[in-house]
Amino acid sequence: MAVLRELVVFPSKCLRGVRSYFLSAPLFQNGFLKLNESVSKDGHALDLEQSDTKKISKAMKSYMERAKIHDNFIKQQLHEYNIGKRHLANMMGKDPEFFTQADVDEAIRYLFPSGLFDPRARPMMKHPDEIYPKRKAAEFDVNGRPYHSLFYTSKPNYYTLMHDLAVKFKQLDRHEDKIISRGIQDQKPTELFLFGSEWIPKQKVENVLLETLTDAQYENLIKTFERFSQHPYSALEKDFIMQFRRQLAAQVEIQQVPELMRDESGRPYMTYNTRRKTSNAAVKVIGQGTGVISINGNDIHFFQREQDKKQIIFPLQFSDMLGKVDVVATVDGCGTSAQSGAIRLGISMCLRSFVNAETIERMRLAGLLSFDPRTRERKKPGQAGAREKFTWKKR
Amino acid sequence: MSLSGVLRKLPSFNAIHCHLNFVGRIARQQPYSMYQPFVKEPTYNIEKLEQLIESGEAKKREFVPVKAARSDQNVSVFHDELTSKFINMVMEKGHKEIATKLVETAYMKIKQMQLAKYYKATTDAERAEIELNPIVIFHKALENCKPVLQLTPIKRGGATYQVPIPITENRARFLAMKWMILESREKERKVHFPERLAYELLDAFNNTGKVVKRKQDLHKQCETNRAYAHYRWG
Repeated sequence: MAVLRELVVFPSKCLRGVRSYFLSAPLFQNGFLKLNESVSKDGHALDLEQSDTKKISKAMKSYMERAKIHDNFIKQQLHEYNIGKRHLANMMGKDPEFFTQADVDEAIRYLFPSGLFDPRARPMMKHPDEIYPKRKAAEFDVNGRPYHSLFYTSKPNYYTLMHDLAVKFKQLDRHEDKIISRGIQDQKPTELFLFGSEWIPKQKVENVLLETLTDAQYENLIKTFERFSQHPYSALEKDFIMQFRRQLAAQVEIQQVPELMRDESGRPYMTYNTRRKTSNAAVKVIGQGTGVISINGNDIHFFQREQDKKQIIFPLQFSDMLGKVDVVATVDGCGTSAQSGAIRLGISMCLRSFVNAETIERMRLAGLLSFDPRTRERKKPGQAGAREKFTWKKR
Repeated sequence: MSLSGVLRKLPSFNAIHCHLNFVGRIARQQPYSMYQPFVKEPTYNIEKLEQLIESGEAKKREFVPVKAARSDQNVSVFHDELTSKFINMVMEKGHKEIATKLVETAYMKIKQMQLAKYYKATTDAERAEIELNPIVIFHKALENCKPVLQLTPIKRGGATYQVPIPITENRARFLAMKWMILESREKERKVHFPERLAYELLDAFNNTGKVVKRKQDLHKQCETNRAYAHYRWG
């Protein structure tokens, strides 16, 4: 009877054991962003070497060999880096004790001038931590047993995260049930805290998890997060979600609005050089004007087509500055549409300095402050044109 | 499954579905498109922009780049989105000036004809009924020409059936414009395109004429083929 009872109890005990370990794993307690620190536990893994030399599995042995080689290599690199730093400090006539990375970069730039375009191709001297990728600490004990229950998925951190998400989802569901059973239903969808941020890209997720992910895995993760954040009570897990989101800058803030300049007579003005297709335009918008428009020395009738004239007037009319500023523009190259388009962008960009922030945002939404990148599409070999094919009949 | 799980089954499914669509759109990006797929279309019309700001949608777009406005878009009082679409459909081989001139001449003809009617009318009540704005006439005429159903060939058991299906707003507008242009282009001596277009538009405005008849014919055909409607599914 006792045996039977034990048999019954065992599976549940076993499961509970796994579960409790799972939750008490350092990964869960410290949050995911601290994973990088696990590298520093290398030493702890190596201590085992001295204490227990009898029963070491092959996996552990080979790991320790690799870890030792890597450790020595990093040590060597660090040593060389420090010596190099001292040399540089002496060469530059500075105190080696207070020689920072910024000083190193400056010294390298001065002592090894390079004409190479790509910054990554130029000579540099960085701390070994920055150059050599971090490695995971040992994931198994001396007997070769993995610490992590998801070790054999080969991506334990990724799958832990997914599992964690599922657990949190269920918790939120339970919370919602509780709220509903109490008869409170005034919870609004919490889209608010996600506003103005986006999911971190795959590269960053990989850095956090210390594992390489496939595109499908990343997509799956983001999809799960998306669903999780749409839960009506997802605000409870705000901190957790925000670890995987990054703030976006508002589009208006990306473009700095320059200050107005003054000419000899004290009139404010602003200039902007721009292009569209292959035409170039230099536009000057002068304040305190009467609405005089001059294009290449002519007035607005420089353009014969009505559409082009309307393009010139568009930003002025939109921002309500028609008749309040003068426009002087020179333009060349390409056709009239491209020329008027270039001048339109030039005028809009100059007008930003004359109007308030609200109008600037309205102009942006109207597509006046965007550069038009569309150009003629090239002809393809084996085709009659960019998209058109030659006439071809099978028989 | 918990209660809330059941409750949220439908919307969450929709969310996944939407997301899948979104991902698919990235994968099926237009080749050689100069804009990234997430870039929004410009809202240059001031009334629409006002709506955008009021609805709070503009606040969300703060973080999204916007495409540059096209060269035929502006805030002139004469600008009409539907008309510029129509001009593009009248246009042949990129001669936009000619197309614009043709459509504008047609508008002028409409204005002349309506004014003639207006001056002929004796009472104020009669005069109030006459629409003088050619753009309003054009909009109403196109609205009268838009079909609500169309026929599509579907193969079932070796035979092809013409199956009536509902039509999208875009397609309906396209068909109305196409028919309008085709009817106006019919060769007849000494009556040029703008004049014929003016007549057709006025006819369609009064819910008569060839284009409206074409629409009714299509509807009739759909009506006769209504027995096949279920072939649309399965």
